[in-house]
Amino acid sequence: MKGNYLGELEELVLLTVGVLYPEAYGVAVMDEIEQQTGRSLNISAVHAVLKRLEDKGYVKSKMGEPTNERGGRRKRIFLLTAAGKRALEEANEVRSQLYSMIPKIALQFKLV
Amino acid sequence: MKSLPPLWADRILEWYCNPALLEEIQGDLHEIYDRQNKNRGKHKANLAYIWNVIRFFRWSNIRRQKSKYSTNSTAMFKNFLLMGFRSSMRNGLTTLINILGLSLGIAGAITIFIFADHQFHTDSSHTNFDRIYQITNHIKINDEIQDWSDSPIMLAPMMKEEISAVEDAGRVEFANAAFRHNDVVFNEFVWFVDPSFSSIFSFPTVEGSMNALQDRTKVLFTEEMAKKFFGDDPALGKPLSVKFQNGEIREFTVGAVIDRPVTSSFYFSIFLPMDVFNDLKFKDEYDWSYLTDATFILLRDGSTIGEVSGQMDRYKNLQHESLPDYYVESYAFHPLNGLSQDGHDIVSSVSGGAHPAGIIAMSIISAMLLLLSCFNYMNISVATITTRLKEIGIRKVVGSGRKQIIQQFLTENLLLSVFAMGIGVLIAYLFFLPGLSTLFPISIPFAFSSGASMFFLFFGLLFFISLVSGVYPAFYVSSFEPVQILKGKEKFGQRSLFSRILLTTQFVLAFTLIVGCFVFIDNAIYLKNKDWGYDYTDNYTIPLTKADQFLVLRDRAETLPFVESVAGSDGHIGYRNPYVAIDHLGTKVQTVHYKIGANYLQTMNMRLREGRFFDESIATDFEEGVVINEVFAERMNWDNALEQTFEVDSVRKTVIGVIQNFHHDSFYEQINPVMFTPVKENQFLTISIKAKPGQVGQVESTMKEAWKEIAPDDPYEGFVQAKVGEDFHTDNNANVNLLVFISGMALVLSCLGLFGLVSYNITRRKKEFSIRKVFGANTVTIFKLMNGDYTWILGISFLVGAPGGFF
Repeated sequence: MKGNYLGELEELVLLTVGVLYPEAYGVAVMDEIEQQTGRSLNISAVHAVLKRLEDKGYVKSKMGEPTNERGGRRKRIFLLTAAGKRALEEANEVRSQLYSMIPKIALQFKLV
Repeated sequence: MKSLPPLWADRILEWYCNPALLEEIQGDLHEIYDRQNKNRGKHKANLAYIWNVIRFFRWSNIRRQKSKYSTNSTAMFKNFLLMGFRSSMRNGLTTLINILGLSLGIAGAITIFIFADHQFHTDSSHTNFDRIYQITNHIKINDEIQDWSDSPIMLAPMMKEEISAVEDAGRVEFANAAFRHNDVVFNEFVWFVDPSFSSIFSFPTVEGSMNALQDRTKVLFTEEMAKKFFGDDPALGKPLSVKFQNGEIREFTVGAVIDRPVTSSFYFSIFLPMDVFNDLKFKDEYDWSYLTDATFILLRDGSTIGEVSGQMDRYKNLQHESLPDYYVESYAFHPLNGLSQDGHDIVSSVSGGAHPAGIIAMSIISAMLLLLSCFNYMNISVATITTRLKEIGIRKVVGSGRKQIIQQFLTENLLLSVFAMGIGVLIAYLFFLPGLSTLFPISIPFAFSSGASMFFLFFGLLFFISLVSGVYPAFYVSSFEPVQILKGKEKFGQRSLFSRILLTTQFVLAFTLIVGCFVFIDNAIYLKNKDWGYDYTDNYTIPLTKADQFLVLRDRAETLPFVESVAGSDGHIGYRNPYVAIDHLGTKVQTVHYKIGANYLQTMNMRLREGRFFDESIATDFEEGVVINEVFAERMNWDNALEQTFEVDSVRKTVIGVIQNFHHDSFYEQINPVMFTPVKENQFLTISIKAKPGQVGQVESTMKEAWKEIAPDDPYEGFVQAKVGEDFHTDNNANVNLLVFISGMALVLSCLGLFGLVSYNITRRKKEFSIRKVFGANTVTIFKLMNGDYTWILGISFLVGAPGGFF
């Protein structure tokens, strides 16, 4: 398997896929990220990240039902997998662990 | 109204996008478009849409992978390799034969490639090689323009002085001289060269330096030559006395030992300073009429050869005035790097480059051998794959496409080819190349002129072999219907017309080569055993350097108990055949004219047909007697040749004897009219000794000793008469050896192929044979069954191939 490393954008997209369950697809993920973080992504970047996540086994996908608004085209719906969930948890854990290790003093923004 | 994005952008998307991904991507894009159309207007939405289409133009979206879940190509590839390895192991013998056959073909191809590569990049080792040119003269002789290497000796110094584009110029003058170190004497071929050779060319030295060319007491040897004279001792500073052709003897010391680059197209062994030649020949007076053997120039950096050739006209006149016979039409400039290819077109060239035709012929032959081994491989592969029909069937049923099966077999092929390549390189390195080197005066290293050519060779070969040998089996086998295979209906292999044609072609080729080879060898043997027209076995001859040596040597030889008779002569049969034109009744007859001592004919065992040999007691014999051969009499239309007369150099000669025809030249040449006339002892240039039967060896050792006493400065060049004939054959022998080798290889290859095929088919039909045996078939019947097919093929190929060999 390819490296399990989860990039920053990948983590963001993966989280969003989880948040949007069960309606996560390209445009929705893009919109959600823009709303939540103010970061505007190109749709092609979102697609690329989603594909990468799928290759790594963190999300799985299926084709949704056809809708009118897209000229009858189906959406590819992405779902978090167990591995994806674990990867998120691990990433989260690492962060909070690292955060907790920061000495108190460093967070007190006072002039000594 | 629902508006749509620009149609052309959509089209582009549809064109490049992987169909499997198109729906979702297009859907997302349209959704965004609709939204932007509503919020920001059609124009901006259009632009954004186009931008997005461009942004999606990524390899991952273009690649036509059926889906992410189709094939895992690396895993499949691993599986191919594994299966290939297993099936090769299962048919160990056939695999071995396959690889061996292929590697033989590859080894041949590599060897020839290295040889050709070596021939065509002979002089790149010189730092200035792209600025060095040889000047040659286009001379008109008999209405035909010839390119002569010889040019006026003054040309080089004048060009260097007068033409600014010429940085340096150097001349080569050939000579023969006898070199003596203590009591070791050899006759050697010498190059007199200008000191500028050290700056024009870059010859690496082992000892000393090329500057020794400025010192007229120094001689420069190649390593080879130094070894010949001094063995493994350091050669630098060793004394030598050199006897030149005008009889002058000079003392030299070794000034440098040159490590002649193996890729040098000119083959020199000894350099002497040009000054020495000037001392000997001109006493420092230069003139335009003397032609030296070669002239080289070094072009100034940045100049073109056009600048030089434009200024050459002024030399034409100088040359014509002093040499009206050597009328130069134009001067030609041969770049050093092309010299080995041009060499054969230049008259008396310094470069010993082989004619490209020889290399082309060899390349064709090696390509044929390679093809032969590929045929082999193809044949055996097709046969072996039969056992794997089930595997193919199952692969197909499980969903493998035809493309994948082809891929599988090509991969296996590549694997085997890589193996064969490795072994082939080894064979070429250990056997073929050293073998080929023995046929040529130079040794060829296992090296390439550049990394690029090596890359080109290895990958080209690999590509060629795996494709030629693998494509047919792969396509053939992959075309079967799985149902047919699994039902066991598909039968093929030994009955395939294609493989039969291949096998037949192979054997036709092999037979052609073998029969041709036998004809050739047989011819050579026939010539060897052919009657020479005289008995040569006990005869021994020593060329003399001074006429007074004859008497000393004769007196010495006549006292020896194992010497039968001693004779002297000017020319000598097979060694020096002087041709003259005899005028008879207005027709000129080209005749070999030997001037001999009175008992020469008896000593050489000539067979008398009519008349008598010379008799010293008859005075007129010496004045006007002549002995001729049968061809002479025929050419003159004499029924009875005795007492006939004709004129030689305005002296009337009378025929006193006719001898049987004998071979005076190579057996390939016709026997010419021959005449013998007597001369005095002071004109003898050779001494011929007839030993008692079987004792010619003793004559040689005794005479060698005697020679050292009377002529210590001259090399001893005595030879047995049998050697005269051998020399005619040596040229032949190299060809015969090569031919024997090639046809042997063709035979081995074809036999390997046949053996592989037969043994394979027999294992396949083991059950059939067992049952036949149980029911009482005897060995003969089974033998017939096994080999019947192939005997036919062999028979047909023999019938087709054998007559081909005769031509």
